[in-house]
Amino acid sequence: MSRTRRFLALVGRHSVLIGLAVMFALPFFFMLLQSVMPLDQAKTGTLFPSRFEWDNYSEVFRRVPLGGYVLNTLKVCALSVTGTVVSCVPVAYAFSILRWKGRTAVFVLVLCTMMLPYQVLFVSQYQIFSSLGWLDTILPLVVPAFFADAFSIFLLRQFFLTLPSETLDAARVDGAGEFTVLTRVVVPMAKPGIMAVAIFQFLFAWSDFFGPNIYLSSEENLTLAVGLVRLNTAVARLGESNLTMAASVVFVLPLLVIFFFAQRTFIEGVTLTGTKG
Amino acid sequence: MAAATVSGAAVSEEPPERRAARRRADRRRRLTVLAMLSPWIIGFCVFTLYPVVNSFYWSFTIKRYGAPARWVGLQNYELLLRSDDLLKSLGNTAYLAAFGLPVRVGLALLAATLLVRARRGNGVYRVMFFVPSIVPAVASGALFFFLLKEGGPVSSLFGLFGAEAPLWFGDPRWAKPALIMVATWALGDVMLILLAGLVDIPTSLYEAAELDGAGRWAKFRHVTLPMISPVIFFVVLTGMIGVLQSFDQAYVFSQGVREGRLTGEPAGSLLTYAMLQLRLFQDGRVGFAAAMAWVMFLITLAVTLVMLWSRRRWVHTATEEFG
Repeated sequence: MSRTRRFLALVGRHSVLIGLAVMFALPFFFMLLQSVMPLDQAKTGTLFPSRFEWDNYSEVFRRVPLGGYVLNTLKVCALSVTGTVVSCVPVAYAFSILRWKGRTAVFVLVLCTMMLPYQVLFVSQYQIFSSLGWLDTILPLVVPAFFADAFSIFLLRQFFLTLPSETLDAARVDGAGEFTVLTRVVVPMAKPGIMAVAIFQFLFAWSDFFGPNIYLSSEENLTLAVGLVRLNTAVARLGESNLTMAASVVFVLPLLVIFFFAQRTFIEGVTLTGTKG
Repeated sequence: MAAATVSGAAVSEEPPERRAARRRADRRRRLTVLAMLSPWIIGFCVFTLYPVVNSFYWSFTIKRYGAPARWVGLQNYELLLRSDDLLKSLGNTAYLAAFGLPVRVGLALLAATLLVRARRGNGVYRVMFFVPSIVPAVASGALFFFLLKEGGPVSSLFGLFGAEAPLWFGDPRWAKPALIMVATWALGDVMLILLAGLVDIPTSLYEAAELDGAGRWAKFRHVTLPMISPVIFFVVLTGMIGVLQSFDQAYVFSQGVREGRLTGEPAGSLLTYAMLQLRLFQDGRVGFAAAMAWVMFLITLAVTLVMLWSRRRWVHTATEEFG
């Protein structure tokens, strides 16, 4: 291929990529612009604000208990991440490092539960939680996390299988029991994997709408996802989309920050579930 | 629960004290396995097995929360199959799958093929394409609700060209394309998975194709596509299941239109998942909702099986290539 043709191909490729990238970035751009749009302009559909109205952010915190939503969401996230890690690490250990009869068969059962759609479960789970008197509390959202979900077990198992068995055997020769091997050897070595599971669980708990929308009802218990939808509904008629967008920025920004700090973990996790699933 | 055992023959040849010690060690190992598995065992029984059995039973009953169930046989299923809502919601879901998925996967494949060849700026592009997919569905719903609303940025952009933007959420013809647009914006995870597949294609195949005089398109058609087809299969399959369960964005769109009412239906675009929630929490028809959940499960299963069956026809397997 001649040099000019190769150069043209390069230019072509990058212009398509840049075009796509701009299209993907534009919604964010408009979200940020709208979040600082003065109200009178927000109602008219102006693209660019004449001045930046930073007060929109304090206004949305005044209008709805956004601070409380953030706190509730953080509580749900912290508890469900803790639950997932504490419960899935030993289970994944039993499925990857311990050897026992029927291990493969039981693991297939775990994978099967992953294919079971949530809708056949929640009709009945709702009844369980309501008879326990857990409605309108965060318990239905965090307690199940302490009982090991299939996706996290699968992901952790993939990481544990890569650990060198010599190191584990060395620890056993030194007289360590399986629980010691788990906490003293496997956990330190599998930190990136555990980190990935924690991040994915955080992301899920932070974004989840379906669960909180079913189980939470009173204003002071809502999470950000439900609060945002209620705010969107409440202000849609008034045309105050500047407030909705300010709340959306508060909702999305932490995720973007986490993403930029843990980019590699993210990308590896997504690819791992995709190619080996 | 299965656990570690040793064969009887080996045990009988050992002296009794060794045998007792071994048996103790065995019991300890079995207990260790059980202890480590216990979170999953309890969770499986309480949050999976019991609900599955329960909702299966309820699907044959008339039931409200807090009230006893009354056996009615197949009545829920009959009602469901005869209801217009089911057909409508399935039709809408099929529309999203038929038009949304090809756009999503196709664009993701385009981005991935361009990325795999671009050395400079690869990381920046990758981040830009991926980031929208970590935006929570309700946030992207709210965002696109704002972008597409009457007098929003998109209609302003249309105005710049002197065109009139459609009423996305008020018009049955445009509500579904709006849903597809949001889903397309979040194609980042699909792109990453495809990218990983593309990186795995051995360069020797491309070199061999070049020796045969293959051009850019021929290489894509005869090397890239066959090699990537298993990955495409995976993303299409998971995408199908995702569409069948999609709910959040449709909910946000409709909430904004019909104030305060739980409809999950932007302009005649009722989705199956939304319909389920509607029957359950607005009408309180638990038995009917359970029947619907099982019908949805069967549909998902059928779609999966059909796709697995069709796999042989279009998914390339490595054994054919090298065997």
